[in-house]
Amino acid sequence: MASVLSPIPIDATPPPPLRLGRARLYLRRFARNRGALAGLVIFVALVLFAALGGLLTRWGWSESDFLALTQPPTPAHPFGTNQGGNDVLAECVHGLQRSLIIALSVSALTTVIAALVGAGAAYIGGRTERMALAVIHFLLVVPSFLILALISNKVGGDWRVLIVVLTVFGWMLTARIVWSVSTSLRERDYVLMAEFMGVSRWRIVLRHVVPHLSSLLIVTLTLGVDSTVLNETALSFLGFGVKTPDVSLGSLLADGSSTISSAPWLFAYPAGLLVLLTVSVMLIGDGLRDALDPTSTAGGRG
Amino acid sequence: MARYVLRRTVGWLAMIVVATNATFFLASWFLDPRSNYRQLRPVRTEEEISQALRPYGLDPRQSVVHRWWHWLTDVGLHFDWGHSPRGASVNSEVAYRIVISGQLIFAGVVLSVLLGVALGVYTASRQYGIADRLSQTLSVVLYNVPTAVGALGLVLLAVWLNQRAGGTFLHVAGASTPGVDGTVDRLLDRLDHLILPTVNLTLLGYAGWHFTQRALLLDTINADYVRTARATGLTRAQAIRRHALRSSLIPTATSVAFTIPAVFTGAIITETVFGWEGMGRYFTKTISENDVHGAVAVAAFGAVTTAVGAILADIATVLLDPRVRVD
Repeated sequence: MASVLSPIPIDATPPPPLRLGRARLYLRRFARNRGALAGLVIFVALVLFAALGGLLTRWGWSESDFLALTQPPTPAHPFGTNQGGNDVLAECVHGLQRSLIIALSVSALTTVIAALVGAGAAYIGGRTERMALAVIHFLLVVPSFLILALISNKVGGDWRVLIVVLTVFGWMLTARIVWSVSTSLRERDYVLMAEFMGVSRWRIVLRHVVPHLSSLLIVTLTLGVDSTVLNETALSFLGFGVKTPDVSLGSLLADGSSTISSAPWLFAYPAGLLVLLTVSVMLIGDGLRDALDPTSTAGGRG
Repeated sequence: MARYVLRRTVGWLAMIVVATNATFFLASWFLDPRSNYRQLRPVRTEEEISQALRPYGLDPRQSVVHRWWHWLTDVGLHFDWGHSPRGASVNSEVAYRIVISGQLIFAGVVLSVLLGVALGVYTASRQYGIADRLSQTLSVVLYNVPTAVGALGLVLLAVWLNQRAGGTFLHVAGASTPGVDGTVDRLLDRLDHLILPTVNLTLLGYAGWHFTQRALLLDTINADYVRTARATGLTRAQAIRRHALRSSLIPTATSVAFTIPAVFTGAIITETVFGWEGMGRYFTKTISENDVHGAVAVAAFGAVTTAVGAILADIATVLLDPRVRVD
């Protein structure tokens, strides 16, 4: 309306578009959030470090340098070495790869399961809904960390199995949230319309209910990365997650904990990487939440 | 009120029973008590191992339902939670550990809720001020520090402080010093040992409450009824405290229960780092020693703490929310 009422300038440069496209609006809001940008920069740097950090040292993560046992950082070993002569830099790079792969895949899988179960239960209703909720509530009460430890201890230190186990016991809380948000969607006009047009149930869930939850799901996806990293670290620290000969940041912490005052570098580097990883992911998640919030006023006009 | 609490308690008791029994089957499935005997020298035959395990109801040659019934009748009739594969009684292990872990979890939950809610209220009423931004940044970092990193960092700090001060003022290992006599001395000694683990659980746990309480209070602080309260002559602080805070505390109170499992997980790691022989250490020990009955007792303890938290949260909701009528 405003552009119609305002006088048209004589040197007719085209008026700026009234509304930004949705993607551009989100991008602009995200870019205005300094914390989120910092988080993104740190996260990208960590991914690059995990991918290319191996080039910074000529030692492999499982190789031993028997001439340098428990050495503080030197030019040959930038992060020092442990009791077995392993290069801590190479171990940290490998551990970061493990933690990143586990966290990203578990978070993606749990979000998909939670979206399907939560939205499906809310839309289909009736007995299916009651059963799904009973399962969710039961799994929320059962001490899931204990069961995680039981299973991952039994199946050994394979990180691929750890992904499966963390996924199976990680989707309930998100599913509960998705369910409570979707219950209000099931009576919406466009859902009823789709029903009248004879669209099948699962197609309605996938094409009409889930897309309306996308901002919630994107935020839970990022925060899920955080909680998976923390869970995996806890399990590996206690010796129930990734085990020797493989290493993750959690098992490196456990190794460093026994020599914390005599060889603090064994503890400091994995600890620092872990905190950088989780803080950066949380900042990104916060920025996404603000950017995707329909009531947000950040990002200026439009 | 009493009736409402009773009804909720019965519901939670049922939940505890189901969770504990489910854990029994899972633990029997994933833990093999025979492996504790297989490492022994002289080598024992499978027959001998079965004979040794049978009195405790742990013999894998018997069906799992049979073992479960053995365990259930012991718990139900004698409140005997069974034995470890080598015959140590779970009851005597758990009895003193519950006290140690209970005080740690209780102190951790109460202190982090108090600190988090106080900070949330303080920063919400000064939104975007310096105090708000600084504490927000600090909370984001602390919220993301893994428990193990936080605990080990505290150990480093305490060792450094002790060296600077020239003596052991902050204890980094154990729940008490052996050989301390006298009621007052023992109490002080226990409190001193409690400091660092509690600080760890509190510092890593309060941030979640800070975020939620700040967001909830910001939602209600500009509500019409708060403005009306100001119009009646209350100061801003009074209006926030008596009207906005009360309604924003309700969701906080209800969510206390569901963070207790996470606090328990934190306590497991904290106990491992600080060398406390509590339920957390027992948890690690039972799983690595294939102790089915012990692991089930840990699960029951976890379920009970969650239930106690949930019932307390229900009571708090009733007291805070005038819309909830239970009579």
